[in-house]
Amino acid sequence: MAATGGAILEARALGLRFGAVEALKDVSVAIRPGDVHALIGPNGAGKSSLLNCLSGFYHPWTGAVLFEGRDISATRPPERARMGIGRTFQGIQTYPSMTARENILTGFHTQMTGGVFAGLFRPPGAVRQEEEFTARAEEIIDFLELEEDRHRIVGDMSYGLRKRVDLGRALALSPKVLVMDEPMAGMSPEEKGDIARFTLDIRDRWGIPVVLVEHDMDVVMDISDRVTVLEFGRIIAEGTPDEIRGDERVIAAYLGGETEAEEDAA
Amino acid sequence: MRPTGIWFSSYAAEARVLETARARIWLGLLGAGLLGLPLVSGTWLLGEMTNLFITLIAVCGLFVTVGMAGQINIAQSAFVGVGAFTAAKLSGLGVPVWAVIPAAALASGVVSVLFALPAARVKGFYLALTTLAAQVMFPIVILALPMSWLGGLVGMPVAPPRLFGIGLGTPAGLYLLGLVLAALAVWTSYNLPRSRIGRAFRAVHDNDSAAGVMGIPVTRIKIAAFFVGALYAGVAGAILAYLLQFVTVSSFTLFASVWYLGMLIVGGLHSPLGPILGVIFVTLVQEGLHSAGNAILQSGSGLGGGAVFAASSVVLGLCILAALIFEPRGLAHLWTQTMTAFRLWPFPRN
Ligand SMILES: Nc1ncnc2c1ncn2[C@@H]1O[C@H](COP(=O)(O)OP(=O)(O)OP(=O)(O)O)[C@@H](O)[C@H]1O
Ligand SMILES: [Mg+2]
Repeated sequence: MAATGGAILEARALGLRFGAVEALKDVSVAIRPGDVHALIGPNGAGKSSLLNCLSGFYHPWTGAVLFEGRDISATRPPERARMGIGRTFQGIQTYPSMTARENILTGFHTQMTGGVFAGLFRPPGAVRQEEEFTARAEEIIDFLELEEDRHRIVGDMSYGLRKRVDLGRALALSPKVLVMDEPMAGMSPEEKGDIARFTLDIRDRWGIPVVLVEHDMDVVMDISDRVTVLEFGRIIAEGTPDEIRGDERVIAAYLGGETEAEEDAA
Repeated sequence: MRPTGIWFSSYAAEARVLETARARIWLGLLGAGLLGLPLVSGTWLLGEMTNLFITLIAVCGLFVTVGMAGQINIAQSAFVGVGAFTAAKLSGLGVPVWAVIPAAALASGVVSVLFALPAARVKGFYLALTTLAAQVMFPIVILALPMSWLGGLVGMPVAPPRLFGIGLGTPAGLYLLGLVLAALAVWTSYNLPRSRIGRAFRAVHDNDSAAGVMGIPVTRIKIAAFFVGALYAGVAGAILAYLLQFVTVSSFTLFASVWYLGMLIVGGLHSPLGPILGVIFVTLVQEGLHSAGNAILQSGSGLGGGAVFAASSVVLGLCILAALIFEPRGLAHLWTQTMTAFRLWPFPRN
């Protein structure tokens, strides 16, 4: 499982505890360029914990996180964002008082320059840069079909739209890999379809590999190139969607008859 | 929202605050009127206006720290004081006004960073306590320093400002100094929200954990928000020093800090229009109460000055409460709504 050849983002033998709870036990995953890589598993399996280790929010007790072959275990979230690990969150984590476009523009923070002076006095260089990045934000707005909503305050938007804004902000980081925690939870089938389409476009058009957690097995099987199954903090299976569908341990532990219940829980 | 008929051919044009030629003409007329006021006005009005400009500059700073970045600050008056004492000291050394003002701004900024370093790590109530400590320590430190430094209990005289050989110590000169710097304060606080650092302030306000993951250095941004807010306070303090001609610690009280916050809340925390409307509204209410109070005092009803002072505090408190309950977005929001309705008339606003 530690086949690292060409992996862009990799977890090696991660271990993480919260008090008595072993959230992760000897978890190794390699995200390859060009893949949509799904993490599945029952509630509390450790999926979010793993994503948080990848994006630097949690620091694993044992093991290491590698990005482009480099050990980045010691770095903190802002640094990882700067390196090119973009992420969206479970639930709503947008900036509610700002417009959709402003939310996306904040994603360019690490690529833009200019501090207090440029902010206060808007010298010509800062205006030019604003214009350049506004144009880039508009590309993302086009891609995510947010044209009608660009100037709306995000706090007034529907859940589905906010998740899209969250995705847009992550894309603004120009990430080399995108980490998404339950991007489709709580969405209508049409909204899920949109996000699934965006995910595939992100892989194909933008060339960004995607790691995502998702409970809806139909969507996972449709869009993933690889699937990793977690249970009680351990990996119980990994492979292509077809391999996972046929894996007896997965069927026993998770898929068989439980799919509907999981969907309801999501 | 914008009415139909206003559209843009570039993102820079869209980012302009004044969208239409009509808006620019109105602003030009207002500017000309304010510049011309000393030609027709008496000294009382000029002094009142200068005070209003000073308050506006300080509240613009709070708009940055509290409104944009969401960092509660109940020490703005102390930061104004730092600016005022810096100006007093430097003017005594013969430093010209164009150097005194940026120096006062920087001095306040630096002092605010000293307090922001611990403050940026705590939130809410504890942050309020930390800034309260700044306010409480301000007089203690000034009084503890040797008399010859900042005048101790007695205070310090301020040499009248001079610019390129012209004395600005007259009511009209101080008024114009205040007007120009208030215009600068308003212009910069309209610029900030449209900038990289301004969006980082607001991101930290809205959701600091998400901001961190998105590559925004949260602690540094919080410290920067205190620094920028205190720059405004320093400028306000410098003009106030020139206006008062004498600075003492007793001019920079917790009470004033609370008034600044109240004006921001009444005007609106989330728009650069908030400080303008809040300062004008509260100043008018204060003046109204003052006149009413004087009338009552002269009528010999036995009410003392203390009662008038208390009454104005009660009214400010009620204004803040009313704003928080009925319109948390403040007068700025009411204003924008009214203007939109006006532009779309006779069609209903959706
Ligand atoms: N910050 C935390 N503090 C304490 N316990 C935590 C924390 N984060 C996760 N845990 C625990 O670790 C275990 C794994 O949680 P995690 O959130 O990773 O699961 P998950 O697979 O994402 O579940 P879900 O499908 O419900 O999102 C759970 O038992 C959870 O209670
Ligand atoms: Mg989770």
